[in-house]
Amino acid sequence: MEIFEYIANVFADVSNPKKRIFFGYLLLTILIALVWLVAVRRSSFKRALGQVFDRKILFSPSARADYKIFVINRVFTMFISPLLLSQLAIATALYYALHDIDFLQRGVFSDTPKGVIVALFTVTIFIVDDFTKYLLHRWMHRWPLLWAIHKTHHSAETLTPITVYRTHPLEGLLYGMRGAVAQGTVMATFLFFFGNAVDLYTVLGVNVMSFVFHVTGSNLRHSHISIRYWPWLEHILISPAQHQVHHSIARQHHDKNFGVAFAVWDWLFGSLYLSERDTDLKFGLPPSEAHSSRLLDIYLRPFSDMARVVRRRYHRIFRPKPVQASSDKTPVTR
Amino acid sequence: MLKPKLKLTSALVVAAFVGGTAFADQAYGPFPVTVKGYEGDKTNSVSYSGQIARHVLHDSLKKAAAKGDGGNNAAEVEALMLAYFNGSEEDLAIIAPVSKDGFPVKQSTVNEISKGKNISGKFYKGAMTAWPGNQSGVDVALQMIKLAAASEQGYDPVNGMDWGQLISKFTLGAMAYNQAVDNYLDEKLDADNKPNDQPYSEGAHYTGKEHSWDEAFGYFGAAAHSVSLSPEQNYAVSKQKDLAAADANGDGVIDLKTEFVFGPAYYAAGADKGGNKNTQYMTTIFNAFRDGRALIASANGEALTDEQRAQLKNYADIIETNWEKTLAEATFKYAGSVYKDIDKIKSGEDTDKALRNYAKHWGELKGFSMALQSGKNNLGAAAIDMNWLIGFGPAMPDGKMVSDIDADGNFVRGREMTLDDYQVNMLKVQKLLIDTFGIESRANDATADLAALAEKLGENASAEND
Repeated sequence: MEIFEYIANVFADVSNPKKRIFFGYLLLTILIALVWLVAVRRSSFKRALGQVFDRKILFSPSARADYKIFVINRVFTMFISPLLLSQLAIATALYYALHDIDFLQRGVFSDTPKGVIVALFTVTIFIVDDFTKYLLHRWMHRWPLLWAIHKTHHSAETLTPITVYRTHPLEGLLYGMRGAVAQGTVMATFLFFFGNAVDLYTVLGVNVMSFVFHVTGSNLRHSHISIRYWPWLEHILISPAQHQVHHSIARQHHDKNFGVAFAVWDWLFGSLYLSERDTDLKFGLPPSEAHSSRLLDIYLRPFSDMARVVRRRYHRIFRPKPVQASSDKTPVTR
Repeated sequence: MLKPKLKLTSALVVAAFVGGTAFADQAYGPFPVTVKGYEGDKTNSVSYSGQIARHVLHDSLKKAAAKGDGGNNAAEVEALMLAYFNGSEEDLAIIAPVSKDGFPVKQSTVNEISKGKNISGKFYKGAMTAWPGNQSGVDVALQMIKLAAASEQGYDPVNGMDWGQLISKFTLGAMAYNQAVDNYLDEKLDADNKPNDQPYSEGAHYTGKEHSWDEAFGYFGAAAHSVSLSPEQNYAVSKQKDLAAADANGDGVIDLKTEFVFGPAYYAAGADKGGNKNTQYMTTIFNAFRDGRALIASANGEALTDEQRAQLKNYADIIETNWEKTLAEATFKYAGSVYKDIDKIKSGEDTDKALRNYAKHWGELKGFSMALQSGKNNLGAAAIDMNWLIGFGPAMPDGKMVSDIDADGNFVRGREMTLDDYQVNMLKVQKLLIDTFGIESRANDATADLAALAEKLGENASAEND
């Protein structure tokens, strides 16, 4: 691959409206942050600018590690993505299977007005996507084996929009599979029952709901600008401040606010935590768990942590030692 | 030794490219007479009228298959069909294609094109496992003719057979495709078989290799000027709807020998015209034929060198691969039609008409799938899977399909198959064809909507997360 092509590929997300760090969304993010700081927080414009572009945050060791991970992970993605089962493969297999179920009638709702079908599909795929992200995210925190991987993301001590890329490649793999299953299922089911009118309402080629999510400041979730919503709205949509709570090191904030766009999942499953005014949150993990900027540690520790979890499970199942207390440290999950 | 060899191959490749561009858009022929010692007055060595006669026999046979009245005239119709299939002492009238308003055809009898030709002598004689009864290809065709003659207008509503379509599509493979790829473009390219330094037969004005190559081109069925026509025009010529495009010499009548587009070429153009519009089967095959013919002409009546024959085999490979793909594309397309027809049958509107269309499209699907299995390549497991998925007959609304045929030619309907299950089979047939032949045009793709949606949603592999 030509070096320029390679570089273009690495930074392709900045020009892709399907991605959160699309430059248009980033510009809007800055605008929203400035308006919030000046209008709500009554800060001077100059101070607001200084806050948004805080060098101590944007160039902290943790943030610099984010930038490196962003580039390194692109390389991993190039190798991993061809191996992933695509949503099309899953959709096709499911589409075949649906034909085989006698009592299901293909195209039974195909008389529904096209606008309704498209709206229904657009909303459903967004909701299913969001819910499965919530579920997987919750499991990433609750299951020690997955937490070992997800720690990479939580080891960030400062949050910038690029922190969204601070994930272990194995996590990328899991989320890729989740997306394929979730979207594949919705696609096949809709096409089977609603026929070929199924389509997506898009803006700039993006699901209109994702577009709204992004233009309303999705990038602020990973930032130090803690925009809060009214409490009633924080039951429905996750505010940037709520996601920052999710990253907080404080004990009472552990295992809260797993949601991406919707807060209802957290509300429904008891993990909702409303943002609080004027609390100074501290992000990151204790050194015993993960390092915030040493790349080798970030990429390799998950493997040794996973090995430890497996070993411990193995010992518990096959060599019970009821008298002697285990000396293994239980990893803190959150 | 490696270097000089490389240089030679590079030179050949360059020559092929240069040659290719020089000829692009040029018709197939005329090519000069190169036979050493020829003293006649011919100046054009191109000749493939025998193949055109066979295409006309085939088109007429297809029409004749619809002449049955349900049994009373069975013997008569069978005799008529056999005349076209086996050839006849008498000069046979062309039943199709015939002149129609705005599209006058020059020839009206087969002998005006070429005398003494038949289909059966050039028909695939290997085993045809796609059809019940463990028969050879030609025996299957004879059985189909008999059943067609006894049917009402070529249609069997109980078993879902459209005989005209079955016979016709099978013949496109078992005669034209088989003869071209398994004979003329195969053993006839050997050095000692029909050599280029001798006339094809005594007194002929073309050499052995020239005529063998022409015969393969004749079976393809393109007009000599097809390459200068768009896929839509080639298609319209075959449908007798575009006189201007067909009439290359501007004399106002269509000479079937050079100006008409027959079955195999029609389906190549059809695949290019429909579906994803990302294929150029017609141009690719045509150019390989024309460039190969130019190469033979350039030998000027001398025996072909090994390099020249290697190049010719290269062209033959291009023709064979792409021709096979056009048959796979057609099979794919009709699997999609059958899938849609089942929706219509299930909707319950105008059931008789829906069933008639279903049988027609199934006949095309089955016929093309048999055509695919009449070539040079043994398709192996792909053929077994395809034959099982398509079956020996379409699934009928009563949930049964043909499972066998007895010695008297009576179908046994012993296989259970619901219309729903059969729809899934059609999806699997399409997938099998994509996986086996890598086809691109994919008209009537029954899962195209899924692919389009997937495209719209974008890929999921990403390194980002909350």
